[in-house]
Amino acid sequence: MENARQVLSTCMGKLVFFCMYLPNPATMKYFIWTMKKTIIEAKNIFKSYDEVKAVVGLSFSVESSKCFGFLGPNGAGKTTMMKMLYAKALRDKHHESELSVLGFDPENHELEIKARTGIVPQEDNLDVELDVMQNLLIYARFYHIRKKEAVKRIGELLEFMELGDKKKAPIRALSGGMKRRLLIARALINNPELLILDEPTTGLDPQVRQLIWDKLRLLKQQGVTILLTTHYMEEAFQIADTILIMDKGKKLIEGNPVTLLKENMEPYVLEIIDKKEASKVKGNGKSGVRHEDAGERVLYYSKNVNELKKMAGKLLPGTHHIRESNLEDLFLRTTGRKLNAVQ
Amino acid sequence: MLSSKNVYPPLINRIMGVWWRHMKVYTKNLFSNGFPPFIEPLIFLLGMGLGLGAQIKLDAFDASSYVAFLAPGLLMTTAMFTAAYECSFGTFIRLEFDHVYDGMIGAPMTAGNLLVGEILWVGTKGFFFSSAVLLVVSLFGVVSTPLALFAPFSGFLTGLMFGALSLFITSFVKTINHFNFYFTGLLSPMFFFSGVVFPVSKLPAGLKEAAEIFPLTHTVRISQALCFDKLSFELLYDFLYITLFVVIVTCLAVIRLKKRIID
Repeated sequence: MENARQVLSTCMGKLVFFCMYLPNPATMKYFIWTMKKTIIEAKNIFKSYDEVKAVVGLSFSVESSKCFGFLGPNGAGKTTMMKMLYAKALRDKHHESELSVLGFDPENHELEIKARTGIVPQEDNLDVELDVMQNLLIYARFYHIRKKEAVKRIGELLEFMELGDKKKAPIRALSGGMKRRLLIARALINNPELLILDEPTTGLDPQVRQLIWDKLRLLKQQGVTILLTTHYMEEAFQIADTILIMDKGKKLIEGNPVTLLKENMEPYVLEIIDKKEASKVKGNGKSGVRHEDAGERVLYYSKNVNELKKMAGKLLPGTHHIRESNLEDLFLRTTGRKLNAVQ
Repeated sequence: MLSSKNVYPPLINRIMGVWWRHMKVYTKNLFSNGFPPFIEPLIFLLGMGLGLGAQIKLDAFDASSYVAFLAPGLLMTTAMFTAAYECSFGTFIRLEFDHVYDGMIGAPMTAGNLLVGEILWVGTKGFFFSSAVLLVVSLFGVVSTPLALFAPFSGFLTGLMFGALSLFITSFVKTINHFNFYFTGLLSPMFFFSGVVFPVSKLPAGLKEAAEIFPLTHTVRISQALCFDKLSFELLYDFLYITLFVVIVTCLAVIRLKKRIID
């Protein structure tokens, strides 16, 4: 009942809005966009640098208030894709390409997009010539936020990212984790609807990672749409509603991380860390046991844990263990185990 | 509802945001940054004026003393060097090492807005530096006309021209050492052949025409006209040159540097 009333009032609101702004085409466009609630719509996106094809025909869409994670090895084209969303990189001209961010094409509406987006880049690009407070004040000015309002907002954001005591600290005096947190605070200064984070926790210690994940979950609850790239499967598993695994500029698989794992991987693995030892069980794997070579290790996947236990019985202790399969197994299976040229 | 959601700052605020960033950085170390424009001309004028100036026959210079001849040109060269340093080494560091531009471009501003803001800032810096030199030379009593108070505006134009030119040069530079070619190969000759240390009219044929190509010649001429109280309609030609130079070189610099800021 409560739900139905909510739906009805939303529809009424939209109807009133629709009638009031009917004559204006720009408003119409915005109206249609709010109906869809799709924040990002990308179709057949291509990007090449000289000889290198960074992104090859990538398509995806991101729903409002959801967290969408891009996974892939270094050089997969994740960062390039992020940059194209806010016109830091320009996509190739291609007749099938379509890109819409918050209802706008970044190619000719970068300002509209950037005014409502927060960006946390992979590389620290804080202004090292200024201190923490000045960094944020200048950035607020770029959004044309009045000083009084900016000071208030900065105070809140620094508290939110647990940097309240660092207002006067020079950038060089901050640790890697503090810099990351400050970058996130900076990206939130304009109350963005969309937050783009390129590897937000790479190189950080577990405490800071957990803190950042908590904050991102909070933001998502507040209705912020989050787009992030990561190498950490744990990170994708913790906060992403949808993940997209890509390699060499192409999409490999996309979906909810739990569902993807269930659909694509057997739940149990026997991991043998000694190749010689593994030869003892080679060939006598029963049906339903899948074998995978991974350098010096050998992995046996199965739905039936008892089958794996039976095999393990033939091996010396300390050379193997049985565990549940995880997103990393899925990642390695889809992107391949060998290193590419840029890794 | 709609207007508040889609709003981004108007053009002038986007450009002035960049200006404001530089202002904040510059005034952060006001004493060490503000020191050179006052002291450098003092050393130069003492060295040139007391040493060389005493040996020079004045009839070629059309001024009360050699120091008086040097003063208006010195206002401009100071503006030239500060603009050139800021938009060559400074820009390269912000672009390649500190990634300051990458950070700024994440906010609602275009690469073009950013670079125009840079040029406007070095124009301001040119104004400030030539004002400082004017103050110093006034203490020597070599500039007496009130019209000279307008000379820093010529310093502003010098700043704009060399800001734009330096950004354009920076767009070609792969490693920071390449700027040596710019400073030694282009700015040093300009210092000597743009009417600063001796009049352009006294240069040998060929060089005289070359001096007209140099941007510095034109702002030096305006500065000298203001400081010596000799305004003429011929200065309109210099203004025309400066306007065209700033517009064209700014466009070229923006087109080329944009490719280094945007992938």
